[in-house]
Amino acid sequence: MMKPILAILTLAAAPLAAQDFSEGSEARSWNLYAEVPAKFEAKVVDLVCEFSGDCPTDCGAGKRQLGLVRTADDVLVLPMKNSQPAFTGAAVELQPFCGQTITVDGLMIDDPELGANNVYLVQSILAPGMEKKIKANQWTKAWAKEHPEAKGKGPWFRRDPAVKEIIATEGYLGLGLDVDETFIAENF
Amino acid sequence: MRRIILAFLAALALPTAAAAAEGTRVQVKGEIIDTWCYFSGVMGSPDAVVGSAHHTCALWCSAGGIPVGLLAEDGTVYMVLKVGDDAQAAGGDTLLKLAAHTVEADGMLYERDGLNYIVVSDVVSDLDITNKNHDDFGNVPAFSIPNPNK
Repeated sequence: MMKPILAILTLAAAPLAAQDFSEGSEARSWNLYAEVPAKFEAKVVDLVCEFSGDCPTDCGAGKRQLGLVRTADDVLVLPMKNSQPAFTGAAVELQPFCGQTITVDGLMIDDPELGANNVYLVQSILAPGMEKKIKANQWTKAWAKEHPEAKGKGPWFRRDPAVKEIIATEGYLGLGLDVDETFIAENF
Repeated sequence: MRRIILAFLAALALPTAAAAAEGTRVQVKGEIIDTWCYFSGVMGSPDAVVGSAHHTCALWCSAGGIPVGLLAEDGTVYMVLKVGDDAQAAGGDTLLKLAAHTVEADGMLYERDGLNYIVVSDVVSDLDITNKNHDDFGNVPAFSIPNPNK
């Protein structure tokens, strides 16, 4: 009588237990407090589409946030970062694969106290038909293509027209140019 | 026996099916934050990567397509997927202009796998930057303001 019930309980509990996706990962450490290497297969989804049914065919052309629905456990992972240490997200990297099932390698950030559950830094992508994985580092190239007028020296974030416009009017601290002036005089 | 097993399996299936699809109407007041710096700790403690101290970095991350969050007064982080008709939550102008601002938002909440996702139908009020923490933390990161002496 009890044996079948115990067997069912065991089977039911298996997907609920935390799984280890670090096996086979070649992710580089970023020396982050809560990073965990993770390589897994997942379907790339448009998050607005997933939740509210608003589903453009191009998944937002890299301007919408995308998700990764992991094959092993159906968990929705939020890819927040690509592999570039340059304030750059992951949507541009994943958009070409929207709707496809791919294998990603990178770092999971696991800090439940802060609310960081199933958030991810994508370092590489392997899609069906690819001989080799590709690095998730195309964001700055895509930005340069989108902003030929901002060509110049220095990192993209110093040259981005929209960012520059806001800083020019609100200041670096966002509180007005007078506040910036005082802060800079006291701190530099 | 068979009925017990079937009932047990049915009970297990119910919450999973409901959690995936249901949204809840919510009103949230909080700060529009850069979630990568907040969650990863890459730039410092959570208190240092919000507000005026982190305004420029929040602009960079928002323009760079990193998910923007709404940090509620109770500490809950809501991942913003859309504001009004603008679904460009990966580098769009609507969220960029709200970086580090405190807002009151009305929208639909979707909870999935430990994260809160919000589709904002309306920013009811924009209170600008209310967390003026640069005197406590400086500018974070330090290079966010170019050194005028170099």
